[in-house]
Amino acid sequence: MNTHSTTNAALELLPRLCGADIELGNFIVGDERAGGTGYEASRALLAEIDGLPLRHAGYVNNWWTAPSPAPRAAYSLPSGSGATAGAWAYNPQDVSRRFLLSNGGCAYIDLDHVELCLPEVIDAFDHVAAWHGMLRMMKTALDSANQKRPSNRKIQVLVNNSDGQGNSYGSHLNFMISRRAFDNIFWRKAHYLQFLASFQISSILLTGQGKVGAENGRPATPYQISQRADFFETMQGPQTTFNRPIVNARDESLCGRSTMNDPSAPTRLHVIFFDSALAHGSALFRVGPMQLILTLLELGLVNSRLILDDPLAALYNYSRDPALQASAELINGEQLTLIELQSAYLEEAKRYAAQGVFEGVVPHYEQILALWEDAVNSFAKQDFMAAARRGIDWVLKLMAIERSMDQQAGLDWSSPEIKVIDHLYSSLDNDGLYWAYESGGFTEPLVTPQRIAHFAVNPPQDTRAWTRAMLLRRAAPDSVFSVDWDTFTFRLRGKHNWPSYRTFDLSNPLGYTQAEAQHIFESTDDFAQLLDALESDSTERTLTADAFCRSLNNEEKTK
Amino acid sequence: MRFLQRFNDNQQPQGSSDGDPGSDGLLLQLRSEGDSLLAAGDEAIRRALAGSNSEAFLRTSRQQGGE
Repeated sequence: MNTHSTTNAALELLPRLCGADIELGNFIVGDERAGGTGYEASRALLAEIDGLPLRHAGYVNNWWTAPSPAPRAAYSLPSGSGATAGAWAYNPQDVSRRFLLSNGGCAYIDLDHVELCLPEVIDAFDHVAAWHGMLRMMKTALDSANQKRPSNRKIQVLVNNSDGQGNSYGSHLNFMISRRAFDNIFWRKAHYLQFLASFQISSILLTGQGKVGAENGRPATPYQISQRADFFETMQGPQTTFNRPIVNARDESLCGRSTMNDPSAPTRLHVIFFDSALAHGSALFRVGPMQLILTLLELGLVNSRLILDDPLAALYNYSRDPALQASAELINGEQLTLIELQSAYLEEAKRYAAQGVFEGVVPHYEQILALWEDAVNSFAKQDFMAAARRGIDWVLKLMAIERSMDQQAGLDWSSPEIKVIDHLYSSLDNDGLYWAYESGGFTEPLVTPQRIAHFAVNPPQDTRAWTRAMLLRRAAPDSVFSVDWDTFTFRLRGKHNWPSYRTFDLSNPLGYTQAEAQHIFESTDDFAQLLDALESDSTERTLTADAFCRSLNNEEKTK
Repeated sequence: MRFLQRFNDNQQPQGSSDGDPGSDGLLLQLRSEGDSLLAAGDEAIRRALAGSNSEAFLRTSRQQGGE
C-alpha cells in the first residue's frame, strides 16, 4: 500500500466534484395501452421544462445524437409537447436535451424516461439540496402537465429505479477523479476496482431505497435493501443497459477532449450502482462517503483487506437480508456482515481523516464522517427507528409497508397492494409517502428548505455550472446552437449579418465560478464582447491538477 | 414476517449497550416520538390502500428499461 506522503501533492487537492443523471419512472395511471405509456408521459413532462437550445425543425443535434432518419410526421406527438417538436434527432437515449437557465443542469428523455441531470457541485450537502431542488422543479412540471390532462389520464412520476416487472432505470452519479486514478481502477490495478466495488456494495446499507420482491430472474424474496442489486451481473464494463457492471467503465470525461494522455488531468467516474434517494440521509450517503473513498483511491490508500471474494454474490445476499444478519467472505477468508463491512470502510476513512487527507478536498468531511458513523451505529445498535429518522430510505419504506400490513388485515408480501405502497413511497406527487413523512417531521433534514429553494432556481456558485446558467440567461435564445457540459456553440451575427458560429469552452469543471466570472458578466451588455472577456480572463482552458494547485496558491496569495 | 418487529424485540434487553444509564429512557422517548411521527404517513397509506385496483395500477406502471 502506498502512503500518503508518497503521492502527488497536486492530485490530493483535486476536489471530488459531483454531478448526477437520474431517470424517473413515468406513466399514465389507468392506461393499460400495449407497450406502456412512458413515451407519452415523458414527452408531456419534458414539454413543461424550459431550456436551451430551442429545437427547430430540421435541427441537427450535436455529438450525442445524429440527424433524424425519420420524418417528424412519423411520430404521433402527444398534446402539449410543442416545446419538443422538431427535436427528433434519432437517439432514443438522448431525446430533446435542454439545459436549464435556472440552475445549469439539464433534462431530457432517455428511453421514455424523463432524465434529470444535476449541475456540478463540490459539496455533498449541495448535492442533496440540488437534487431536492430539481425534484421541486419536476413536481411543478408534473402539476402543470396534469392540469392539461383529463382526470382519468393523469401522469404519475416515481423517483425509483425499477418497475417490479424486470425493468430498471438508472440513478447515476458522476465524480471527478484524475485520469491516473481512472486508469488505475480499470486498467492497471485490479485491487483498486475490487476495493471500490466492495465499498459500493457495502453502501447499500445507507443508500438502498428498498424494494418488494425480486426481478431479473433472481430467486423470490419478500423485501430487498437495494432496488438495483438484481440487475448487476458483472464487475466492470462500459455498458449500462444490459449485463450491468457494479463499477461502470464509461470513459467520457466531459472535461474537454485533451485529457486522455495526461495522468493528472481530470476525468469522470460514471457511477451507475446506487438507487435513487428521497430522504436526505440516503441522498448524502450516495455522495459524501464516495468522495472520501475516491480520495483514498486517488492517493493509493487502498486497504486490500476490505475486498469481497465474490462481490456479486455478496451484493445479492446482502440485499436480500433486511435483517442484516447475512455475511460475505472477504478475500482473506473473513466473514463480514453488511454492517461490519460498511463500518470497516468508515473506520478506514476516519483513520485517514485524522491524518488530514481530506482537508481541502472534500468539503464538510468531518460532518460527513460524523453522520456516516451515526447512521452505521444506529444499525449496529439495531435501532431501525433511528436509522429511519436519519433518512435511510429502505428502512423508512419498510416501516411504511409494515404499517400498511397493520392497517389492512390479509395483506402480505405477495399482495399487489404492498407493491403499490413500494411504488408510492417514491411518488413525486401528493400521494408520495416519503413526502408525508418529510413534511410530518419524521425524517431529519440535512439541508434547509431555503437551500433547496435556492438550487431550484440558481446554479452552484463554485463550479462551471454558474457560468453555464448565466450564459444561457444572457444569450438570445435563438443564438444557442448547442450546449454540452464542457462546451457551447453560439450562432452569432458576423460581418454583413452573416451567421457566425462561435464555440465557447467550459472544459474546466472548477473554472468559471461566480467568483471568477461575475464581474465579467457585469462588465458588458454585448454578448460577443462578453465571450471575448470570459475567454481572455481564462488562464487555464483545460484543468489539470497542477493547474488547480496553482490557482489555489494564487487565491491564497490574494487573501 | 415482520423485519422491524424482530429488530425492536431484539433491542429491548440491550437498550443500554453503550453503558449510559439514561439511554433506555431516551431510547423509549425517541421511539415513542418516532411512532407518533410515523403516523404522519398513515393517512397517505390509507389513501393508497383505498385507491383503485392495485393490479391495474401495477400493470400501467410498466416501464421501459433505461439508462
